[in-house]
Amino acid sequence: MRRADQVSGALLLVFGIGFAVGARRYPYWTPHGPGSGFLPLWLGLTMVVLAAALLVGATRRTGPGGAWLPDGRAFTRLIVVVVATALFIWLMPWLGMAPGTFLFLVALLRFLEGHGWGTTLGVAVATTTVNWLVFMYWLSVPFPIGVLGF
Amino acid sequence: MDLFANLALGFGVALTPMNVLLAVAGVIMGTLIGALPGVGPASGVALLLPLTFGMSPTSGIILLSALYAGSMYGGTITSVLINTPGESASVVTCIDGYQMALQGRAGPALGVAAFGSFVAGTAGVVLLMTMSPLLAKWALSFGPPETFALMLLGLTTVTGLTGGDALKGYISMVLGLMLAMVGFDIVSGDARYAFGINEMTDGVDFLPVAIGLFGFGEVLAGAEGAAKMEILHAKYGLRDVMLTATDWARSRWPIVRGTFLGFFIGVLPGAGPTIASFLSYTLEKKVSRHPEEFGHGAIEGVAGPESANNAASAGALVPMLTLGIPGSATTAVMLGGLMMWGLRPGPLLFEKNPDFVWGLIASLYLANVLLLILNIGFIPAFVRALRMPYTILMALIIVFCVTGAYAQSNKLWDVGQMLVFGVLGYLMRKLGYSPAALVLALVLGPLAERALRQSLIISDSGLMIFFMRPISAVLVIAALAAVAVPLVRAVTDALRRRAVVPG
Repeated sequence: MRRADQVSGALLLVFGIGFAVGARRYPYWTPHGPGSGFLPLWLGLTMVVLAAALLVGATRRTGPGGAWLPDGRAFTRLIVVVVATALFIWLMPWLGMAPGTFLFLVALLRFLEGHGWGTTLGVAVATTTVNWLVFMYWLSVPFPIGVLGF
Repeated sequence: MDLFANLALGFGVALTPMNVLLAVAGVIMGTLIGALPGVGPASGVALLLPLTFGMSPTSGIILLSALYAGSMYGGTITSVLINTPGESASVVTCIDGYQMALQGRAGPALGVAAFGSFVAGTAGVVLLMTMSPLLAKWALSFGPPETFALMLLGLTTVTGLTGGDALKGYISMVLGLMLAMVGFDIVSGDARYAFGINEMTDGVDFLPVAIGLFGFGEVLAGAEGAAKMEILHAKYGLRDVMLTATDWARSRWPIVRGTFLGFFIGVLPGAGPTIASFLSYTLEKKVSRHPEEFGHGAIEGVAGPESANNAASAGALVPMLTLGIPGSATTAVMLGGLMMWGLRPGPLLFEKNPDFVWGLIASLYLANVLLLILNIGFIPAFVRALRMPYTILMALIIVFCVTGAYAQSNKLWDVGQMLVFGVLGYLMRKLGYSPAALVLALVLGPLAERALRQSLIISDSGLMIFFMRPISAVLVIAALAAVAVPLVRAVTDALRRRAVVPG
């Protein structure tokens, strides 16, 4: 955790400085009282102080840092799930909501988790149908219609 | 009397067929969400929010509050039978609940939790109903300085009490406030931190953030811990959950104490059901005549905390409804929902939307009755649902996150936001930051900024205005104490450690 705290502390420090500098582009004080840059500036400065405290505290702490990210297979799985979800979202306008949902579930359940075809198709068909009925039919959310026409 | 007229109005609203149906759906889903490890009540509320857009706000809050009440009941099942808490307010139930199950007394453990929850939940609503109008009336006199002071107190106490590292809690809170600054400023019209991106000028939307941080983030974090769960073979049919006379005698007072303790802990900003359940366990162990039984299957160790967490979930609604200050992650998400429905939580809610407030209160009575029936008669059905592999649950929740994030605004941008905040939520959990503090700050940020600016405009002595008005002075000092106490404790701990190990 020590290394992780150093990294996140440093990132937050930079973010805080950037936020405070950005706040200078908006008026700090106007004739009508505090301007739109007032609170952002103070928030940025507060973040700088807090992040610096985290960074210093983590650096002064001794002892081995424990692992904080999962290793090996669990990490691969995490990445695959995030990437699959990103692809699902990215392809949605082209593929359409319903086919996208179906393919996403098949990919995840069959190929990542290794469920049998029966379970996979059952879950995928049921979820896609229920999802479509609730959101598209009942709540009339205009989901993207893909190249397949549904 | 006014109260009964209002309550009659409430039941008139809550007992329409559609709303009863929603309450039934809410308690069933809530019990499932509470029972399934890896999805907590805050995630459940965030995931169901998109569904409520097609409903009136009253129907929406009935669904969500039934779900919230149900999740408090459902967490018990997992704690007792698997020794894994279904949600954080049932952590402490694992201690004696699982021991009881090992001794073949899973039935009474679940039974006392259901009865205790019912008593506490119902008494909690009675207290909620009598206290809230008084508090709302008092809060009507609040000006901008009091409002800002109250929000400051809400933010600092929630952050300090979310557990873990206080410093990281405050960092999460400031991060949430920073995100709240993005987009159009209502006063000046400046599009702050938008970087010329059209979607950014509307600000960081609450719903994709909540769905991402809680739904997606939680499910990613849970994926690693999805070890094979072993469900204890036990009897929990209708006859098995009935209590013996001895059980009743032993759990009667813990239920009563848990109810009152839980409710008042729940009302405090920042302390929700989880803290209430821990305090109740400690209290029961202290007052017990046989404290040595705690940890080895004492029924008081289940009765007290399970009552306390239900009473606290009712108590947590008091500050949310009357002051617009949520006391927990779940009520923060609910508050965000209220705002999206176009309601303005706070003292005026009771005057302007009586059908909403009293419909909610009446539906909570209904929800508790429904939950008692479900949790006495239908435990086997929920246990069967627990056998669903986590991998399938995870895939379903992700689909629901994507759909829900899209459904509000019909923009893929929001789904992208959900994904980004999902990954952020995962990292925050892993690194010990507090997603709850971030969401709370995001919800309260714009309101707090407006109150702060208004206060400084009417003030002729700058920030001193917060100390010159008695109510705001008390609140601000309490907020400062909430920040200072953990810091002082950290410093004294460090000094003490240095004293023990010189050098």
